[in-house]
Parts: sequence; structure tokens; C-alpha cells
Amino acid sequence: MKCYLKYGALISPLGTTIEDHAHALLSNNSGIKQVEGSGFNNENWFLGKMNELSGDYDALLEKALGSLESIWDAEILKSPRTGIFVSTTKANMRLLPGDTFESTRTLIKKELHQEVDPVIISNACISGVVAVNVAADYLKAGKFDRAIIIGIDVLSDFIIYGFQSLFALGNEVCKPFDAERKGISLGEACGIILMTNEREEGVFAEYIAGASSNDANHISGPSRTGEGLVRAVTKTLERAGMDKTEIDFVSAHGTATIYNDEMEAIAFNRLGLEQTPLNSLKGYFGHTLGAAGIIELLSCMISMEKNTLIKSLGYQQCGTTQTLAIVEENREKELTTILKTASGFGGGNASLILKKVQ
Amino acid sequence: MKLIAHSYLNRKAAFLNGVKVAHADSEQPNDFLKTYYRELTIDYPKFHKMDALSKSAFISDYLLEPFYADLVDLENKLQLVFANNDSSKQTDLKYIESYEINNNPSPSLFVYTLPNILTGEISIKHKWYGENCFFIQPAFDAQFFADQAMFSFLRGNDYCLCGWVEMNGSENEECFLFLLEKSADTFEIEQLTTLLKSYRNE
Repeated sequence: MKCYLKYGALISPLGTTIEDHAHALLSNNSGIKQVEGSGFNNENWFLGKMNELSGDYDALLEKALGSLESIWDAEILKSPRTGIFVSTTKANMRLLPGDTFESTRTLIKKELHQEVDPVIISNACISGVVAVNVAADYLKAGKFDRAIIIGIDVLSDFIIYGFQSLFALGNEVCKPFDAERKGISLGEACGIILMTNEREEGVFAEYIAGASSNDANHISGPSRTGEGLVRAVTKTLERAGMDKTEIDFVSAHGTATIYNDEMEAIAFNRLGLEQTPLNSLKGYFGHTLGAAGIIELLSCMISMEKNTLIKSLGYQQCGTTQTLAIVEENREKELTTILKTASGFGGGNASLILKKVQ
Repeated sequence: MKLIAHSYLNRKAAFLNGVKVAHADSEQPNDFLKTYYRELTIDYPKFHKMDALSKSAFISDYLLEPFYADLVDLENKLQLVFANNDSSKQTDLKYIESYEINNNPSPSLFVYTLPNILTGEISIKHKWYGENCFFIQPAFDAQFFADQAMFSFLRGNDYCLCGWVEMNGSENEECFLFLLEKSADTFEIEQLTTLLKSYRNE
């Protein structure tokens, strides 16, 4: 059974449609700006903050779901053969001390007229990539014909103060892999990928394979050897029956912390992918946690559709002990095969391979 | 697939394959995990830094350890599949207190405000580098876990350590772990539900 991908929805500080995002990414516009008083001690952190709906999880989810009817008709959206998958780290924190995931289920049932609960994945920053891998499991096993894969997280004091307490935030727009990088810019977004076992109109990428792996090293610090990421990518290539030389482009995690980016550089060198064009999209969106994997895959699909490598925003000079082929300017390239990776708290790593449908 | 072993704990007792192996004083609900740690003479200093969610999974996993010895290449071929309804809510609320009441956001609490941290703790303990996934589910669903295990075996894994782990501050706190192995045997999914019901005394 094959799994094809098409655009669902994308709402972030860069816009509310796929077209808005194609324009912003190809113009190298960042959605990150300085937000006054956003820190615990009123620091002015740099955030990928939306003008409307910021922090409003339910409204953002409702809006993104509302746009799906223009792509799949109501019969498909509510069909028991369509599975719903949600990637989120914290869902709606305004519902505390109640059930923070309850509104996710209610809204999906209401908006899509679905009767079955969604499969919710909460696996820190790798949730989005894992969600696509899980959805593909269901399609390949014939449990569903289609999947709606939603990645969503919003900004909150909870998240901002937490990353601040870990000294993980940079006092500038984040600069993944750069020598001057100082840390993460947090962001918020909702992205939706549609997966189908039929080669219907609008599909242009095929999901080939994916895998995850744990560093077995530390719950919050990246591995110094990149072991988990190396194993996740190796397993993904094995399952895809592909060689690393077939990868045209790597969409990395690249959070812009000193240790994460260094870990990834080591891992990609160990994997022999140091010559393969690579970017991090965190300079455009910031780190959107549970949404990251999904919105970055949607951006990869834009890159694929436009046959354009998108500049790794914020990168100027190599800042890792081992070099990578970071995309320094937008450039045209025939993109057939893309590797997407993610790494996160809990020592998790995940990756997957997409191939253009010819 | 085949069920190799299972463990269970709640505020009252801890069990391995249906046999009680440790007892806790239910009048001190916050201390039962420490009681099991002591009663089972576990020695793992990192335990004391963990939140309740990780501690409960750690102890339940510790009980299953004798069954790991005969299994092959757990480092690569074992997947962790965990789920609960309340995510890391208890730790989330404690962390919120750290900045709203104590005026000092606690990084050591913040890192535990993700449910999948417990899969990291188990991976670190055993040096397991396999696949991990944490799901949020409204209630224990045997069919869901069986599906995930089947997918996992189709992807090339040989074992699945599954866990339903709810440490939400309520009377119903529990942790139910079961180890599944890829095999041609027919698996009665309902036996998982039956097991959990008997552990719960339902």
C-alpha cells in the first residue's frame, strides 16, 4: 500500500495559506519578532508569534480544520476510513487543571463530523515526524484509506518560562548552525498534511519510510555522538531500501542551541550526508514544538513543488566542529528525494523520507 | 504475537505476572513509589530525580527485568509504546506553581512536563536505542496497543514494551506494563483488558 501526501493547511506568523508560506519562504521572510515583556522577568524574547489567535489553541485548530472542506469533501472528512492524527506537546493549556486534550477531540468531532477519537501523539519535539510515521502505519496496514495529520502548539508563559529557565532561548532571531547562534526562538503554528493511498489530484509526494530512535543518553541534553539520530536515519534508509547518495536534500531539526546543532552536525557527518544540501526552517517559524515536524514537512513539499532549496535563514558562518552543506541562498534544484529529521527532549529522534511523485 | 510478561502497580501494591511483590501503605499516597523502590531494594540514584510518571514506569519496568535476559537484540529491536489520558499534568501543575507561587520557574520540573520523558528514562536505564512513541488516549484500549505492536513488528521490530501509565493525583493512579513479542501465535487481545480488570479488582 502506498501513501501519498498533499497540502492540508498551514497557519503561522508567515500567513494563513500554503501560498502565503510559499511566498514568504521563497522571499526568505522570517515570522520571528521581538516581543516586549514576554519573559519571566519581562525580557523581550524573539518569538514566532501570530498577530491573531496567538496562544489560542482551540481557535487556531478550528480555523485550520475549517479550511479542509475546500480540499476533501465532507463525506471524506467524516468517513470512518479517514483517520485523524494529532501531534501536539501541550494541546490547550488554558484548560488546566482540567483535561488539556479534551478540546482537541471535541473540535475534531465537531468540525469534521468524525465519530472516532483522533490518535494523539505527544512525544516532545519529534511528535510531528512520528505522527506522519504512525499515520503511514495505519494506511499500510489497511486500517484507513486516508489520514489527516495535524501538528499544533501555541505559545504560552508555561513554554516560554520553561525554555528560559533552561537558558535555551537566544536574545536574537535564532541562527541555526551558525557560529554566532545563541539559542532557540520559540514559535506557534498549526499545519495539516493529508495522506491518501490513492494517487488523487493534488498529491505530489510519496511517503517512503520512517523510523525513530532514542539516544539512551540524557532526558534533556542532546547526545554528544548523535547516536540516536544516526540510528533513526540509518533505519529509515534501510526501510526505504535506499542509499544516502539518493537523498537530494535534508530538512534538519536545527534549533540553534549550541548542543543540538553540534549533535546534528556530528550525526550527519557520521551518516555521510555532510555534502547533501541541508537547512533548518527554525529561522522562519521559530521552534513550534509539536507543530514543527508537520509545518517543516509542508515547507519541504513547497520546496519540492518549486524545485527550490530554501535558504537556511540566520546562517552565515559554520558554527559546528564538523561542516555541513548548509543552504546559504535559495537555489533551483530538482528535488526528488527529501530526508526530514527531528530530535527532542526524552532523547527522541525521528526521520522519514519523501519522494516526488513523477 | 505473544505476551511474555506483565507488571502492574497502583497506590496499594505492585505485581509481577499477577503475583504481589510489594505493598504500600495507602494512607500515604505520595510515598507509594518510594515504598516500592525500598521494598524491592532497587539501587538507581537517578530514580529520586524523576517525577511520579517516570518513577512508576521505572519500577514497573524493573519488575520485568528478569524476562529481558533471554531476548535478543533489545537494544535495536524493542519498541516502547506508552499512553495515558492526563499526560504529565501533575508535574505541569507543580511547575506552574514554581513560577506563579515560588516566583522561580523550575528547570528540573519543566523537563518532566512531557509524558515521553519516561521512555527516555527507560531507554537510558537499559541502553536501548529502539523506537519510542507516547500517545494520549482517553482510556486504556487493548486493541489500540495491539495495533501499535502489530505496526511495530511490520516495521521490523521484534518486541514491544507497552505501558498504560496514569499518575494524575487521583485515587486511580496506576501503571500497567506488558511485553509483547513478535510471533505467529494468535493473540487474544481481550486478555490484556481482563488482566487490567483483575489488577484493578473490577
